[in-house]
Parts: sequence; structure tokens; C-alpha cells
Amino acid sequence: MTAPAAPITRPVAVPSDSLPPLRRRKPPSLHSTLSRVLIALIVIVQVYPLAWLFITSLRTEHDFATGDPFALPKSLTWENYARAFETGNLWLNILNSFIVTMGANVLIVLLGMMAAYALQVLGFRFSKFVRSLFLVGIIVPVQIALVPLFIDYSTINLLDTYPSMIIPLAGFALPMSIYLFSSFFEYIPRETYEAASLDGAGPYRIFGLITLPLSVNTVVTVVLVNSIFIWNDFIFANTFVLSEELKTIPLGLQNYIGAMGKTDWTATFAAVCITITPLLLVFLVLNKAMIQGLESGGSKG
Amino acid sequence: MLPNRSRLSVLVFLLPPLLLYCVAVLFPIVQSMFLSFFSWNGISDMEFVGLANYVRMLTADDIFWRSFFNALGYLAICLVLQLGGALLVASLLTSMRRGRELIKTLYLLPAVISTVAIAFLFVRIYSIEPVGLLNQLLHWIGLGALERPWLSDINTVLTAVSAPEGWRFTGLYMLIIYAALLSVPQELEEAARLDGASRWQLFTKIRFPHIMPVWITTTIMATTYGLRGFDIPYLMTNGGPGQSSELLTTYMYKTAFSSTDFGYASTIAVFIVVECLVAVGLILFLLKRKADA
Repeated sequence: MTAPAAPITRPVAVPSDSLPPLRRRKPPSLHSTLSRVLIALIVIVQVYPLAWLFITSLRTEHDFATGDPFALPKSLTWENYARAFETGNLWLNILNSFIVTMGANVLIVLLGMMAAYALQVLGFRFSKFVRSLFLVGIIVPVQIALVPLFIDYSTINLLDTYPSMIIPLAGFALPMSIYLFSSFFEYIPRETYEAASLDGAGPYRIFGLITLPLSVNTVVTVVLVNSIFIWNDFIFANTFVLSEELKTIPLGLQNYIGAMGKTDWTATFAAVCITITPLLLVFLVLNKAMIQGLESGGSKG
Repeated sequence: MLPNRSRLSVLVFLLPPLLLYCVAVLFPIVQSMFLSFFSWNGISDMEFVGLANYVRMLTADDIFWRSFFNALGYLAICLVLQLGGALLVASLLTSMRRGRELIKTLYLLPAVISTVAIAFLFVRIYSIEPVGLLNQLLHWIGLGALERPWLSDINTVLTAVSAPEGWRFTGLYMLIIYAALLSVPQELEEAARLDGASRWQLFTKIRFPHIMPVWITTTIMATTYGLRGFDIPYLMTNGGPGQSSELLTTYMYKTAFSSTDFGYASTIAVFIVVECLVAVGLILFLLKRKADA
């Protein structure tokens, strides 16, 4: 430790070897100590409930009903996980969520890219108007579509199908993805397109051979950001899907609330842990791309 | 514009996305406005009632006004937690040297989790029998007198259903604000520091004005999301007890799908849209003016 001791006692959490040997810094001030403690506290508030969720999923029912909620479980059990799989159609719910997420993502990426290409690269006279039309979808809440879509779906027999969820999910996510693709397409130099045009490539070949291959990173970002919202969608699934076989994870979880509101909490928490794992893993592995996407989504508007 | 493009190619690329967007978003908006002038339960004939639904909503429906004010309270709590919390953590984070990436990731974690899971989790956190985290914590720090069933007490339920939504998305807004704070020119800050500016002055005179455009975007995002909040209150209390945690969105949902009053539900839906547009306009007006001043 190269710095002299701080005027007040520092919490143990601060690593003592945090100073690079060459760039000697001032001793940690009261301000920076306080801000670290504050950050630590806020992070605990953000993360502890999730840790608690996991710990509870490993408790025995008896331990859960009688024990102190903050205490560590007296014995660990995987029983709750077994019961979670018995109670609901967990595998089916996961499969359905996959189908809906994939379906919506394909539409969002493909159509988003096409629209951004038309707006940003091809350009046309009313492009400003079309752009502002798409902006409406960012501001307007999804609830406006529930009643009309419910009525329309029931007239054309689309209620209780995968498309009934996929269409509105993709539709409402489209503006943001068009926006992200457009701002990426801006960075592709015009000269690239002009050179390709001189070589005789038309708009379709340019899209397929230049724009599409260059957009891979943006595609990853768009898919990641949208997957969070689609995987977790409750409102469209709850409104348009009735049959057990089509229920996605958010609806499936409701099965764990038994008759008279009596809930098997430890099994429910186990089920919650199972269902959040896929997204959580993807998030932890790819969080750089995701964070970048979220940042650029907001900071350029 | 691309040199060799044809009018047809524009249409080929533009029509499919526009079609999906019209089917899912634009057409339903128009349809809602249309439906709001009718009385219809989905089965019998539609009956044109003109502005009667609007008159009923604005003058004769106590639950509507109750839900409206609840929604404003819900919004206020969400905004304080999301924007206030985000700004606080983002500014603290800029003065940290290590572990920023880790904290960003941890802080964003709740945003990845489904609202149903969060609703379950918080029902347990608030519960009193068996004792949940919140009541136990209050007991420990000597505030045992405050222990209560948070979700069935009409005085606390609105706060209790708003907090999870705020908690959930703080990380998202923090990321955006943090990215903006990093873009504040270092020379500017150095110069101000040499002139003897305090941390607070540095923040109010240099940093915050610099991130103003992003702050406006974030405020608009958080406000429109707050006004459309639905899942967590619906799942935790379904608007109850009584109407003490009813929001416009949950009220609209129940009107449509429990009372099958599609016309009146559309009227409320149109109101929610207008409310969002007014809110966005108001934010732009107020914050832009402040930024120019």
C-alpha cells in the first residue's frame, strides 16, 4: 500500500492494492469512500433480492415457512426443482417462449433492416413522413392495441396462436430496431455504395453483399435487447393466448399459484430460477454487446 | 440516394415492414379511436353513442379519476427511483476506477427478469406471514412498529406496487446516463476545477447541462414507460384492495376483458395515448426551455 492511511476507517471491501504503482494518486478522500459505500449499498439493494430468490429455491418447505428469511437455509435441497417440473408444463412453456422469441426476432431484424435500408440508403421523397410514422410506435403504449387486436384476431381466427403474440411484439419493437439500424447505416461510407453501383450492382445486391454482412454486430445488439422484452412479455400473451399448450414462461409461472391463492412458494421460486436462467446466461456472456445496445438506444435520441 | 435505385426497389424494401407496422400498431390506434364512439360488448350490435363514453369518463366515473391519480403517483415513484437512482449511481460511478463493468452488469440484472417473476418475488418481500425481507429488516433496525402487510394496507399499497417497477429499470437508465457522463469533455471539467469549482458546481454547471439532451430522452422514456406500467400492479394486487392500486392501464384492461365493455375500454385507451403525448410534449417544453435559459 503506497498511500498513507485514510483519515477515517475504510470498509474492508475496498481492495488495498487498487493503486497502480506509477500513477500515484491522492489518498482516498472522504468523498470517494462515501461514494463507494453508497454504490455498494445500492448494488446490494439491486442484487440481494435475486440472490434471496435463489437461496429460497433451495430451502425446504418447512424451513421456508418457519425460518428467518435472511438466514441461510439449514439444509439445501433440490426437491423444489423436481416439484417445479411436476407442477407446470415448464418445458412446454420454455419451448413456446423460444418459438415466440425467435419468430419475433426474425421479423424485427429482417424488416427493421429493410426499412432502415429504404429510409437511410435508398432514400425517397416521403422518407421524413415515414420516419415520423414509425416514431409513433415508440411513444404510444402497447395497451392501445389490445382491444382492437383482440377483436380482429377473433374475426380471422387468429386468437390463441403463435402469430397472435408474434405480430404485436414485432410491430411494437420495429421502430426501435429501424432506429438502431438506421444509425448504423449512416456510418457505412457512401463511396462504398457508389463504387458498387459503378460495378453494376443494383439495390438488391448492395443490400445482400454490403449492407447485410456489415450489420452483424447491430443484429446481435437488436436481437439481445428485444429478446429481453419478448421473452418476458406478459400482456400480449395473457390477452391473446388461452390454451395451456401455447402458454409462454410468464403465463406458465402463474400456474404455481394454487387454488384459493395458496402458493407453493419454494417450487415457484425454483421455477422462476429455471426460467430466468437462459436469459441470464446469455446476458452475462454477452452483456458488453447488450449494454452497448442499450446505451446507444437512448443516448442518441 | 443510391444511384441505381428504382422506385420499385424502394417499395420492395419498405412495404413489408410498413405492412407489419400498420397491422400491429397504426391500424389498432385508428380502430381504438373509432371504437371509443361506440357502445359494444363484443357480441350484440355496435351502437353509436357519439361522445357519451368521453362524457361518462370525464364527469361520471370516480374509478377513472381514482386510477388517473394513482397512475400519477405510480409515475412519480418510478421516476424518482429510476431517474434519481440512475443519476446518482452514474455520477458516483464516474469517480470509480475499478469494477465499473461489474457494477454496470449487476445493476442491470433486474431488467432481465420477467415481470411475473418480479411480482412473485416482491409479494414475498412484502409479506408478513411468513415474515418477508422488508418486515424482518424493519424489525432488526428497531422500526418494528412499521411492520405491516404492505400490499393489503390501502395506505401503502400504491407505493408498494410502484417500487418494483422503479427498482427493475434503474440500471437501464443508469447505463444511458453513465454513457452520456463519460462524454463530458475532460478539458472543461479540468478548467472548472482549476477555477476552484466545487463538486456540486461541477455537476450543476458543467456535467448536467452537457448531458441535457440525453437527460431529456431518458426522462421521456421513463415517463412513457411509467404511464403504461401494467404488469406488476396487475399481478401483485390486481388493482386492489378496493381501487387503491388501480392504474388507468389495469382499469382499462378490466373494463375490456372482465366487463367486456370494448367501447368504454377504448375510450380509456385513447386517454392513455393522449396522456403519453401530452407528457412528452410537456417534458420537451419544460426541459428545452430550461436548457435554453
